[in-house]
Amino acid sequence: MKELNYVGKSVLRKDGPDKVTGRALYTVDTRLPGMLVGRILRSPHPHARILNIETSLAERVSGVKAIITSQETLGVKHGFVETPRYPADQHCIAHDRVRFVGEEVAAVAATDEYAAEEALSLIKVDYEPLPAVFDPEEAMQPDAPEIHPSHPKVREPYHNIGGKTESGWGDLEKGFAESYLVVENRYESHLRTHGYLEPQATVASFEPEGKLNVWTSSQGPFIKRMKLAKTLGLPQSAVRVHKAYVGGAFGGKIDLFSHEYCAALLSMKCGRPVKIVASRPEMFAAYRHGQPMIVHLKTGVAKDGTLLAQEYRVINNCGAYRGSGVVVIFLAWGFAMLPYRVPNLSYEGYAVFTNNPVRAPQRGHGAPQVRFAVESQLDMIAEELGIDPIDIRLINSRQSGEVLPNGDNVHNCGLSDCIKMADEHTNFKSTYGKSRRVPDSKERYRRGIGIGVSSYFGGSLIYPNSSSVAVKMNDDGSATILTGAMDIGQGAETILCQIVAEEIKVPVNELQVIAADTETTPVDIGSWISGNAYVTGNAAREAGAEIRRKLLELASDKLEADIEDLVLEDKTAYVMGAPDVRVTYTELVAASISKHRGDPLIGEGHWRTMRDEPTHPSLATTKGRWSENYAFDAQVAEVEVDTETGVIRLLKAVTAHDCGFPINPMLVEGQIDGQVSMALGHAFMEEVLMKDGFTLNPTWLEYHMPCIHNVAVSEHLDVITESYEVGRPYRTKEVGEGYVSAILAAIGNAIYDAVGVRLDTTPFTPEKILKALGKIQ
Amino acid sequence: MKIVIELSVNGDSYEVAVEPQTTLTECLRDHLGLMGTKEACGTGECGSCTVWADGRPILSCLVLAADCQQMEITTIEGYPGHGTIKVLQQKFQEKGAVQCGFCTSGMILTSAALLKKNSRPTEDEIRKALEGNLCRCTGYNKIFQAVQAASEQLSGESVEEAAK
Amino acid sequence: MRLPRFELKQPESLNDAAELLYRYGSSAGLAAGGTDLFPRLKYRLAAPDVVVSLRRIPVGQPVEDPEGYLIIDALMKLADMGRSEIIQRNAPLLVEAAHWIGSSQIRNMATLGGNVCLETRCMYFNQSHDFQFVEPCFKRGGDLCYLMPKGRKCWAVCMADTAPALVCLDARIELTNGDGTRRVPFADLFTGNSVKPIDVGPTDVVTRVLIPTSSAIRGWGFMKSSPRGGLEFATVNLAVLLEMLDDRETCSNARITVGAVSASPQRAHKAEELLKGQKLSTDLFVAAAQAAAEEIRPVPRPDYSRSYLKECVKILCRDSLTMARGKI
Repeated sequence: MKELNYVGKSVLRKDGPDKVTGRALYTVDTRLPGMLVGRILRSPHPHARILNIETSLAERVSGVKAIITSQETLGVKHGFVETPRYPADQHCIAHDRVRFVGEEVAAVAATDEYAAEEALSLIKVDYEPLPAVFDPEEAMQPDAPEIHPSHPKVREPYHNIGGKTESGWGDLEKGFAESYLVVENRYESHLRTHGYLEPQATVASFEPEGKLNVWTSSQGPFIKRMKLAKTLGLPQSAVRVHKAYVGGAFGGKIDLFSHEYCAALLSMKCGRPVKIVASRPEMFAAYRHGQPMIVHLKTGVAKDGTLLAQEYRVINNCGAYRGSGVVVIFLAWGFAMLPYRVPNLSYEGYAVFTNNPVRAPQRGHGAPQVRFAVESQLDMIAEELGIDPIDIRLINSRQSGEVLPNGDNVHNCGLSDCIKMADEHTNFKSTYGKSRRVPDSKERYRRGIGIGVSSYFGGSLIYPNSSSVAVKMNDDGSATILTGAMDIGQGAETILCQIVAEEIKVPVNELQVIAADTETTPVDIGSWISGNAYVTGNAAREAGAEIRRKLLELASDKLEADIEDLVLEDKTAYVMGAPDVRVTYTELVAASISKHRGDPLIGEGHWRTMRDEPTHPSLATTKGRWSENYAFDAQVAEVEVDTETGVIRLLKAVTAHDCGFPINPMLVEGQIDGQVSMALGHAFMEEVLMKDGFTLNPTWLEYHMPCIHNVAVSEHLDVITESYEVGRPYRTKEVGEGYVSAILAAIGNAIYDAVGVRLDTTPFTPEKILKALGKIQ
Repeated sequence: MKIVIELSVNGDSYEVAVEPQTTLTECLRDHLGLMGTKEACGTGECGSCTVWADGRPILSCLVLAADCQQMEITTIEGYPGHGTIKVLQQKFQEKGAVQCGFCTSGMILTSAALLKKNSRPTEDEIRKALEGNLCRCTGYNKIFQAVQAASEQLSGESVEEAAK
Repeated sequence: MRLPRFELKQPESLNDAAELLYRYGSSAGLAAGGTDLFPRLKYRLAAPDVVVSLRRIPVGQPVEDPEGYLIIDALMKLADMGRSEIIQRNAPLLVEAAHWIGSSQIRNMATLGGNVCLETRCMYFNQSHDFQFVEPCFKRGGDLCYLMPKGRKCWAVCMADTAPALVCLDARIELTNGDGTRRVPFADLFTGNSVKPIDVGPTDVVTRVLIPTSSAIRGWGFMKSSPRGGLEFATVNLAVLLEMLDDRETCSNARITVGAVSASPQRAHKAEELLKGQKLSTDLFVAAAQAAAEEIRPVPRPDYSRSYLKECVKILCRDSLTMARGKI
């Protein structure tokens, strides 16, 4: 392999200097002349009919410039999914009914916070409270209050079904009949939230000529533009979403949010810029969280541990509108079938409406919930059969080149190597079970080790489906990259620079990035569905490659040599073996301008995953291709349980992973560490506590995100299954979401290893541990 | 009713008309345009708004601007070339301690105050100093390493040497 | 989130502060460090017309007075207490408790007096009520309790980490108002009423905290249990103070105080009795801890059951006693 100069190296972040000096400007930092403050009036009821809204008193408050209710809207609904099966179902401002506490009812723009606050207090809304339901299994009952009619295509007489995914293959009954052992369990995951540091915020400025300028904290500007244009009835050319730095998202800033719409509509109404910043209590109590899920899992295995049959029944507490609740029941199928071969499988997933806030993807989007169930149960099976947790995973692990039931190919699959390396690195086999071999131990602190396995897709087909990148060279050989990619902290701009640098051999610090602006940059899939490094990265590579081709042709002329004999290096070209005679990029750009009628060397690149696939897979049946990149990982957790207080510490997390080819190892490490930390929070301390649709702990004091006291040693082992060659498409896999899952399961398994207690609900709180140990009632 | 206050920020003196209830965060951002101080919660639960008051890290979201008149306030925009801050800014980048960046100002100022007082903090002292600064991206390991690396550079000895 | 509008008074002396409070009475809010008051104001849990900020008042140095007290200025920052040799020497238990409060930034702002006066807390109370739990609860002047809907009173909890330490140390609180100055045993300040947890009037300023100095052989322990180990209020906090006979093995007097479990810190009297006159031993600690867990009556919270909190009391008590023995 030829030496790589820029990719595969821990290049420092391009945005580092801005961020460490406080120069980085986020949406909350955006200020425009004459800017007004927007605030939103929210429903105090989990379910109610809106009988009347009276705004006249509020309008008289000095400083109030505009008030909007659903009367002012076009009534166009939006949804995370908008397909014929799952049409948009949420009004931007509640129309005649509110379905969750915190739903948007009206919005105000005023000259300052105090006028806005007073106006909100003077808007009189008459509600007729309606019966509400919060638990998904209760909501499915025939006598449950109806939040929305059940989906017309769902055959069962369940209430409040927002969507259903059904899939399967083989002969389930035969599989169970042939099984040596069949086990059945129910696992439940709780409500968590993203906890991004930067608040949800939008600045909207409508120019009288009809142009709407928007700055918003998001994961991709193009989906925001599309949804704003549609709901506001504007052509896309009239909506410009500008770039701002984004202070974390984790899935929570993808979809259209009411505050974005309200800021825009308020600005359109009063002709002045409007800024809305959500308060932390609003974000906790009214914004979108992750997905609490119930997983019923029945598994049949042969005597040697080979999986023969699995039956899944997944119930997702979807909240008051579909949100991504109908996507997660599709994804849960995917995360169920990815890592292991199961010849006979049946899956059904329900998204059930409840009077809770709407759900969003949250890093891992269904994978932690499913992997927790599967990996916990697999350890139970292994123990029953007397097989080691490592071996039972190796027996069932997918191998390179395997075709998944939906027709996808896993290509180079390093899963078995991940499991083996994790085992060797942690001495798993000789450590596992040690603690439980002394069942009557009086030791206060007991240690355990556990393993989990997961797999994640990298890129799928969802609007806008593709990424384009343009690279324009300056006449001194430096260059500017235009990309729609949104750097939400993961380092998107940095890796795009590395990729382009590698193609055109221009140092990273001589590359500028213009990003995430719908007007000046090409379209991009956005920083979600885990496809940025692959889809946008390959588009950037193509754009660089086009310039590379042109440079080589020009150099070939100048140096009178064949292209194959030329070397590009550090903004110069030379003939292989004769590095003393070089032609500079400055000369080549000048040559291009004179020879190619003014072409200063501009390259463009485009990429779409699964280029021959017409559309995304069916959310209803899982048919159709899902992705062409699958990452695999095995994670080992070492925990220490305080058997007296029930407090568990994650001592060490080992991530053995196949992420394809790491473009920037330091950024990859950052993703691993961040996911281990998020999983640690999931496992032990984070929970959005709700009662009857109200949030009990809408603050960081009571929603316990890990702090610096709650850190585990995080180690990683790389299984590199792909290589990178200049001028060729590469396959890099996802690294930003997949590692919150196996480690959660591994923690659960390690707790069992430590104290012989298996918890089937998250989080693993001290109270649950003490109850399971019989220390408290 | 606005009041006129005198503030000393990063060595510069300002006369600002604020409302009595204006917090230091609001004053820095809305009146002085110093946007490096971030507000993520506004109620003292995250540390993003940390600035120095007479060299000690405080939460600017919970202090009135009018109460800061006899103090020297330092923000991330800081004095150009302030040694400890500058070293941390470099180490945070080198160690991968920056991701989304929203906690970074507060992290650096809190760490810098610690290192200024104690250039060789123990692991526990680093954790205790930073316990009020939430970061959701990094999981803290690299932040911890960056502070240790800065400590080594500033005190001129490695952790191993110090242990001897 | 913005603070509500108020008029700001910045007295430069305690007398001026007392005078201002006398003038404005219950329409004034007192801000020392501001870390307790300002979040409540941002959530609109209180709306004082006037905020009296004590930040301009010079902070006195801690002293040992001839009457046998360590005297600490109530305006002393929590972080400064650990830096004071005189406090370290006379009341290391208090320093330890202060060390576990909030975060480093909060300890640089918050004052000892502020922690003494900390408002009681409840999940249903300490949040914004724009659209959640809009109907005021007892603590907000209303007529209901969300936590215990059948109850007829407020169940908010005193979370002050210094409280159990100050009870063990038999601290006195000096209060100043327009009528003069008085000293009250800290433990007597507590009313048991979560709505008005301490008997400090609207015109009172807590000016000093007095801790009896002692030449007895002592051991002390403090522990705070919390989900993260920092930046949060306690699940349970607990302080222990042991006085020993000259043999350094026999306990002559013991104080065990449990905090964060109810409107007032609770003494574990039965556990204390078990220790008195006894030679310290692990078995004794276990028995005392058991007794403490039985007698302490914690208020269950949305995230912690009564039985879990009692178990916490038991473990913290035993471990704090062990810690105390190590410091004799």
